[in-house]
Amino acid sequence: MTERHTGDVALEAIDLSRHFTARGEGGFFGAKKQVRAVDRASISLRSGEVLAVVGESGSGKSVLARMLARIVTPTSGEIKIYGESIDLTKRRELSYASEVQLVLQDPFAAVNPVRRVRYAIERPLLLHGTNKADVAAKANEVLESVSLTPPEQYLDRYPHELSGGQLQRINIARGLSVNPGILLADEPISMLDVSVRLGVLNLLRELCDNRHLAIMYITHDIASARYIADETVVMYAGQVVERARQTTVIDAPVHPYTQLLVSSVPNPENLSHQNTSATSTTVSINFNYDGCRFSPRCPHATDLCHTNEPPNVDVDENHSVRCWLAASDEQRRAVTISSRATSPAN
Amino acid sequence: MSSSTRILDVKNFYVAYGYGEDAVQAVTDVSFTLEKGHVLGVAGESGSGKSTLVYGLTRLLRAPGVITGGDVTLRLQSPDGERDFDMLAASDADIRAVRWSHVSIVMQSALNALNPMRKIGKEFDEVLRTHDPKSTKAQRRERSEELLGLVKLAPDRLQRFPHELSGGQRQRVMIAMALALQPELVIMDEPTTALDVVTQREIVSELHDLREKLGFALIFITHDLSLLVELADDIMVMYAGRIVERAPALDLYRAPRHPYTLGLMDSFPPLQGERQVMTGIPGTPPNLKNLPTGCAFHPRCPYAMDRCRTEEPELMSLDNGERLVACWLHDPSSSAAVPVALRHSPHGDQQEQS
Ligand SMILES: Nc1ncnc2c1ncn2[C@@H]1O[C@H](COP(=O)(O)OP(=O)(O)OP(=O)(O)O)[C@@H](O)[C@H]1O
Ligand SMILES: Nc1ncnc2c1ncn2[C@@H]1O[C@H](COP(=O)(O)OP(=O)(O)OP(=O)(O)O)[C@@H](O)[C@H]1O
Ligand SMILES: [Mg+2]
Ligand SMILES: [Mg+2]
Repeated sequence: MTERHTGDVALEAIDLSRHFTARGEGGFFGAKKQVRAVDRASISLRSGEVLAVVGESGSGKSVLARMLARIVTPTSGEIKIYGESIDLTKRRELSYASEVQLVLQDPFAAVNPVRRVRYAIERPLLLHGTNKADVAAKANEVLESVSLTPPEQYLDRYPHELSGGQLQRINIARGLSVNPGILLADEPISMLDVSVRLGVLNLLRELCDNRHLAIMYITHDIASARYIADETVVMYAGQVVERARQTTVIDAPVHPYTQLLVSSVPNPENLSHQNTSATSTTVSINFNYDGCRFSPRCPHATDLCHTNEPPNVDVDENHSVRCWLAASDEQRRAVTISSRATSPAN
Repeated sequence: MSSSTRILDVKNFYVAYGYGEDAVQAVTDVSFTLEKGHVLGVAGESGSGKSTLVYGLTRLLRAPGVITGGDVTLRLQSPDGERDFDMLAASDADIRAVRWSHVSIVMQSALNALNPMRKIGKEFDEVLRTHDPKSTKAQRRERSEELLGLVKLAPDRLQRFPHELSGGQRQRVMIAMALALQPELVIMDEPTTALDVVTQREIVSELHDLREKLGFALIFITHDLSLLVELADDIMVMYAGRIVERAPALDLYRAPRHPYTLGLMDSFPPLQGERQVMTGIPGTPPNLKNLPTGCAFHPRCPYAMDRCRTEEPELMSLDNGERLVACWLHDPSSSAAVPVALRHSPHGDQQEQS
């Protein structure tokens, strides 16, 4: 396994896309259309850091995680692990599978209900080459790493004898048992009880700090992203529309979509924010829009926004946004000139 | 009923699942009242009995759920005046007559509650026809379109099947249906939990406007206390089948008196301020089959005293009766070292004392 140093880029997606063909309105007889579920998304996971990915339902968060875990094959783009580019036409190697672990939302669906916890923990260990003789000791170690102590108390239980929070810890423990450097957690707390969610979040943070794991934390819950993330990216209609270090995305959002998202979160400390200006979700998300994907709902949209995809603009060295409002005059001019030079009918 | 503005009066209400040895007491000794046009929020973690309570009140419990005690009185409004209606003594036929037209409920699984084989319009038509068999199809259609308009859906949605609508749109349909016969009480069980925050925000502000316009009373269940602070007049917090605290929404938020309410609130990271490590509520939710002695919350309570382990606290009245709390910390005869500052104010400059 590679030596891990906090801050090193562990896993990188570069312009990663995945398109699906789906039927449009009208069910079976509807016209087929392409859904760009993830559209040229670039993100970096760093060792010892949590990258939070937020965005509304259907924005492509899970598809992105599945591509990074190499369960879904990208349509285009590149994945690099510890700086090395991966041949995406090849099958996933076992070493990749143990280095990059995916933890899913529903802890109850992830473990076999008729097998004891011991089985769930020991099986991946054996599969990934732990000796039979060492397996019991290793299993104890793994449970201790997620604060399920004493381990003997949990190993012989069945999943239904555990709470959701304990089960999600087991789930994470299982992912960790093969000593990965990268953990992709897809909504790991959304099915858990409110009172035990913080425990799982704190565990993720600890793993990051103590074991220098690189963690991708996918969530709907913006406040929880703010709570643990070193960096947050916001996705809309398959694209990364804003990213920043620390809590900046939530404290000072620049993209109108991020502003809408943040102002929609119930916040008793600020009861006056009810009226948000962006138009409603009854406008369905258009993945194939030529301009900015958010422009049909955006209160600030200009003609340019409807016709041209916005560039990625640096707000400062720790914060970037894909929005025409933040673009420089040069960036705007470049587009106006080039679109005049090519076909204006587009 | 004592007060004429009261719409619902629940006294010493009990619900169990199963009988005899195996019975699980899911709702225990719950009493509360609701005023006309008010919004009551019900919060509490999973398994605390929120759904069981409202299904019990509306006689929608399924076996093995049984009501084992209590009184539930609904004040009905009709053109010829008001009258009290005993929900628990009423026959099934009477309950059916009251449901939808006086009290309607949007269930927790509402997103899947619509029949996938039927167009939305057909569902509306049926609710309206059952209520008024003499109405014409055209009248019912007009009313259906009007109802969709209330929740900001275009009339063409009536021609759609449920799977052709997004989650938020389906939830709006369920809300429109609950309002179809202009009930005076609407109950919603986690209506926005499965939706993303933007859609949730829209639905909540629509509900707010609708209530202003139509004047129904609302019981709104969610585990998200922050949402309730915005929406509700009063909030009731449940733990292990009992009410542990009830207070006006902002009072509850600013100064929770029950350690469980405080814990619940501190389980949600804030949206502003310095980041700091939070711990939430230690331990796990109780097993109803084997409840702790005394106060059911004591094994998880950082303030627990000896007395809490053996004696069960009753709801006691605080703040001139504005607030009810079931916690020995607030017992006036207690020799415990009250005052207890249960809330560090967000800015740390003043401390709430009880
Ligand atoms: N196998 C598939 N076939 C066709 N379309 C798909 C497939 N998987 C995902 N999609 C589409 O891709 C888009 C992105 O889906 P994805 O599951 O990544 O969203 P998400 O951001 O994880 O949403 P949620 O928050 O609801 O989990 C959606 O429009 C979805 O319908
Ligand atoms: N059919 C049943 N048989 C036995 N016990 C049940 C049944 N339905 C619910 N219970 C139990 O009754 C208790 C209360 O459940 P209820 O569904 O009312 O909780 P809730 O507060 O609505 O939770 P949630 O937030 O998860 O919806 C739970 O402990 C649950 O396990
Ligand atoms: Mg997902
Ligand atoms: Mg419920």
